[in-house]
Amino acid sequence: MQAFFQFTVEGLTIGGFYALVALGYTMVYGIIRLINFAHGDVFMVGAFIGWTVLVTLAGTHLPIVLALFVALATSLFFSGALGVVIDRVAYQPLLAAPRLSILITALGVSLALENGVLLIYGPGFLTYPHLLGTAGFTIGGVQISYAQTTMFVISLALMFALYLFVHRTFIGTAMRALAVDQDAARLMGIDVERIIQITFFVGSFLAAAAGMMEGLYYTQINFYMGFLLGLRAFTAAVLGGIGNIPGAMAGGLLIGLLESYGAGYISSRWTDVFVFLVLIGVLVVKPTGLFGERVVERM
Amino acid sequence: MARTDPALRAATARMLIVAVAAGAVVLPLVASDYVIDVAISIVTFGILGLGLNIVVGYAGLLDLGYAAFFAIGAYSTALLETLLHFSFWETLPPSLAFAAVSGVIIGYPTLRLRSDYLAIVTLGFGEIVRIIANNLDITGGPNGIYGINPPVLFGFEISSPATIYGLAWVFLLIVLLFTRRLSASRLGRAWISIREDETAAEAIGVPTLRVKLLAYVMGALVGGFGGSLFAARFGAIDPTGFTYLQSITFLIVVVLGGMGSMPGVLLGAVIVGGLPEALRFLALWREFGFAIGLIVLMLVRPQGLWPARIARRVPLPEDDAGDLRFAGAEAKRGETLLEVKDLGRDFGGVRAVRGVSFTVHRGEILSIIGPNGAGKTTVFNCLTGVIRPSRGEILFRGQRLGHWAPHRVVALGLSRTFQGIRLFPNMTAHQNVLVGMDPHHRVSLVGEILGLPSARRDTREHLGTCRRLLQFVGLEEAAGRRAGDLPYGDQRRLEIARALGAKPELLLLDEPAAGMNPTEKTALMGLIRGIRDLGVTVVLIEHDMMLVMGVSDRVLVMDHGTLIAAGEPAAIQRNERVIDAYLGNDTEADETAGAEEAALWDS
Repeated sequence: MQAFFQFTVEGLTIGGFYALVALGYTMVYGIIRLINFAHGDVFMVGAFIGWTVLVTLAGTHLPIVLALFVALATSLFFSGALGVVIDRVAYQPLLAAPRLSILITALGVSLALENGVLLIYGPGFLTYPHLLGTAGFTIGGVQISYAQTTMFVISLALMFALYLFVHRTFIGTAMRALAVDQDAARLMGIDVERIIQITFFVGSFLAAAAGMMEGLYYTQINFYMGFLLGLRAFTAAVLGGIGNIPGAMAGGLLIGLLESYGAGYISSRWTDVFVFLVLIGVLVVKPTGLFGERVVERM
Repeated sequence: MARTDPALRAATARMLIVAVAAGAVVLPLVASDYVIDVAISIVTFGILGLGLNIVVGYAGLLDLGYAAFFAIGAYSTALLETLLHFSFWETLPPSLAFAAVSGVIIGYPTLRLRSDYLAIVTLGFGEIVRIIANNLDITGGPNGIYGINPPVLFGFEISSPATIYGLAWVFLLIVLLFTRRLSASRLGRAWISIREDETAAEAIGVPTLRVKLLAYVMGALVGGFGGSLFAARFGAIDPTGFTYLQSITFLIVVVLGGMGSMPGVLLGAVIVGGLPEALRFLALWREFGFAIGLIVLMLVRPQGLWPARIARRVPLPEDDAGDLRFAGAEAKRGETLLEVKDLGRDFGGVRAVRGVSFTVHRGEILSIIGPNGAGKTTVFNCLTGVIRPSRGEILFRGQRLGHWAPHRVVALGLSRTFQGIRLFPNMTAHQNVLVGMDPHHRVSLVGEILGLPSARRDTREHLGTCRRLLQFVGLEEAAGRRAGDLPYGDQRRLEIARALGAKPELLLLDEPAAGMNPTEKTALMGLIRGIRDLGVTVVLIEHDMMLVMGVSDRVLVMDHGTLIAAGEPAAIQRNERVIDAYLGNDTEADETAGAEEAALWDS
């Protein structure tokens, strides 16, 4: 039982990262029906920007907390901007084209980001500054580090903030309107292109937050890290019901837990098989994911 | 694309084929082993691209795990050769069989999913196959399987680059012929129809689930075939050859080239196989350059480099082998064809239809009228199996409906048109009709693919019926035009022809006159009577009173989900409840009611 709770703690921590990245997949899918294959790589770029800033600041004598804050702010802002640029250059011109064309440019952007980072930073692992330490507390034999707690709390706080943003602000309302009917939203005076850009900004912003936290947590980053995480996060978004924001949050945490239990009880070699089998099983029983909405078609 | 003379086009195409063939033959004689190796890769991409094109291009199903079938073919050949000492040729049938079975395994549970969910499930399937290959001992784990013997033909070993190149071309030509025949077959048309509009396809009789499953199976067959070739080519395989990235590359071949377009897919294979080699001068920047090139190409040609063309050539035979024949023609008029008892349907808390009972007699024309929202289309949807009734019973030719899939209801002899036109816009008019007719086309798929004489004869007869149907609705001239380009009234008539293709005994028309001008409406009345004279019973929903009163034998009136009146047109016009339902019974409205009433019936 102790092992179970230990796996749960680990699963929730990584699940928080998955959930943050899954939100980006689900928001973009919700408004333009695109599986944004480049999203996992934005997460990776976020981690690299954060690393660059932290390493640069290491020479100065800035307090650690302040350095972290500067790195986080820079990473989130530039990653958000990157999301907007990707949308403008690679997606917006193709919104009216067949849906698979835009999927292919998304794959192209993903390859370009991975190889771009590979060219600048090289193929090896880079080490993040060890800022977090392993200090923590124990409840009934289950070890929980302060880092895990903090990250889980930050993940939840960001998700809650997003929830408020989408449900309590004008822009959030416009996003939801866009998700239902883009043409009607346009006729109501919503600047559709701008809302799409904001969505990309917010999604990339959250992904970069996850990227930096992952870097700090595992202390190693690599140009390829976005691929596997993107795959898991995308799985999470589908599991929760793609296009559904609370679904992506729940799906992310669930995938984190599944992965942790899978690695703990079965074998890390079979984790992905386990995760995908659960996903397929869920979709066979509930074809629109755990929290998906039913689409009514008029004839 | 500019319109060009078809003859000129055909000539250009022929020249291009000759040029490619000549180049392909000469290449191994003049090129270095390196170039031949690249060429083999391109040919392999061509094979896989054509296979994936069946799933993605024709059937419109997204598949992100196509490398799984490639892996299954390769591992089957490798294991059968190394463990059971099969020859390469002997491994082909079982390896194809394994691939086909895996197509069923992935297809079956996922058929009801929408395409975006399909993306992740196929991706997951691809990863599962790769991880299994990577983790099991029998597949050699991460090291894979090596020491696969090269194929031997008449004592001659196929192992040099030039001979493998030749083998690859033979494989490609087989796949080309196979996919070409498939795309022209009844199954090919069904795939395109579900890509265009799955709901409409099901509602006119296409068994969509089976058709989708067959798309996976056919795609899997080609993928497995390519996998066997891959194993023979390298003599060794390992899991890194079958990654998610590989699946993505196959998808790029298809989409970049042009979905559903065979020359496009082959061009895509040339670019995906050749461009990275051509970019070698970029050294480290090569992958990056490829990614940027991919984005730019997609932005410049969103439809693909060589988009699929809609077949303009209409292969309809000119000779007339007889009249249109319908099963209902010989049956006795007046007997009960359809009986609806106490039908009800709720949507959430809304009772859209309640307690509706009526009978349809063979050979009559029955209209259902009523204000918008009265539940008329819901009744149609219950009858055709598109939605399930909440209560009540539907008896059609004595059979109980209500829980059957729409395509099975069509097979029983009940077909329909839609309120909002739901043609397959990117198919020609005659293809639309053929899709409606195909469930009755009894020719075997194998016969169609092999081009057997009996199949050719059946197909010819089939096409003759198609021509007569188009003639019947007055659209013979439009046979080769894209359905989406036809004028509105023609689209409505084409939908009727498509529904008649299913040889129905009962035809349901949902607002056939909507959007038609008075001349077209008069012609439509003639058409509806003509349909009845063929022996097909007609039930229509319509708002146009001139048409309803002019053509109907009986009229049913619905309001707020219930049946409020039934009878002959003249009686309905005098019915107080009907007049109230249409005009309201406010006393204030009384003054104008007389005038409006007159206008209503005369409109």
